[in-house]
Amino acid sequence: MALLDLISPEIIRVPLESKSKEAVIRELLQVLIEAGKLKDFDAAYEALLAREAKGSTGLEDGIAVPHAKTDRVDSLTLAIGIAPEGIDFRALDGKPSYLFFLMLAPPDQSGPHIEALSEIARLTQSKSFCKMLRRAENAEEVADLLTEEE
Amino acid sequence: MQGPIRNIVVYIDGSEEAISAAQYAIALAKSTGARLYALYVINTRALNDLVKARIFLDTEEDEYHRDLEADADRYLRHVSKLAARKGLEIESLKRSGTVHQEIKKCVEEFDADLLIIGELSRIRSRRDEFYNESERAMRLVPCSVLVVKDEERVWDIYDALPE
Repeated sequence: MALLDLISPEIIRVPLESKSKEAVIRELLQVLIEAGKLKDFDAAYEALLAREAKGSTGLEDGIAVPHAKTDRVDSLTLAIGIAPEGIDFRALDGKPSYLFFLMLAPPDQSGPHIEALSEIARLTQSKSFCKMLRRAENAEEVADLLTEEE
Repeated sequence: MQGPIRNIVVYIDGSEEAISAAQYAIALAKSTGARLYALYVINTRALNDLVKARIFLDTEEDEYHRDLEADADRYLRHVSKLAARKGLEIESLKRSGTVHQEIKKCVEEFDADLLIIGELSRIRSRRDEFYNESERAMRLVPCSVLVVKDEERVWDIYDALPE
């Protein structure tokens, strides 16, 4: 499964309403619940917090990639959130985070999980593209920017 | 008379699409008499990239590497069993590195006439970042490539094979 196949407006929240790290994670998990992609909110939340406790997934340049393995999803699951005002995600550079890519994967699908994370890493290397994402006004626009179909 | 397909490599990455590809490859190997190689590549390049991008911690890299090793063994064993159930012996290959490059190396090493991969994304993006490893391999290998689609039809084909 390619990252592209995981992207649809239903798994994207623009703008995020949350103002804190934990609230962002909860809001994105709620997006997945509403999209029918996640059944056990609490187990996924605990798995993500356990990962964050080892070190923040808030990277440099306003990008955060919270991720965890959990057997409470059947397949690779992605939620995307944009916070135009920025949120303190305790990022490595101490700056606010604007783009959030939350990923959950079943423990036995490490290959697709790693490849999808790697695609996110490649995608977010472009600062101009990240700026365009930050300026997006709704979920459809984010999905269009990410997929840019031929 | 030897047909045009003598050696087939099927790429297994732990996805449902790859299992369908393996089932189709088994059917094709049985009908052509070709030798079938099932290949899983532990994507150490992506692991390194994720550590460099600081998405992964060092400890996470070790953990995921162990997971990938276990996945490789499990999926290769599964495909071997699928083949054995239909009376076909296959060769399992476990490699590490950059996936599309390892696929190309195996295609060359085993003189494959055909690479079989699972279904690709239905969305055709203009963004190069979205070319996944299967697409990169498809563009790189010197042999013909077969992209397996329609999981249910493939299951019926596999199921109908004599045991």
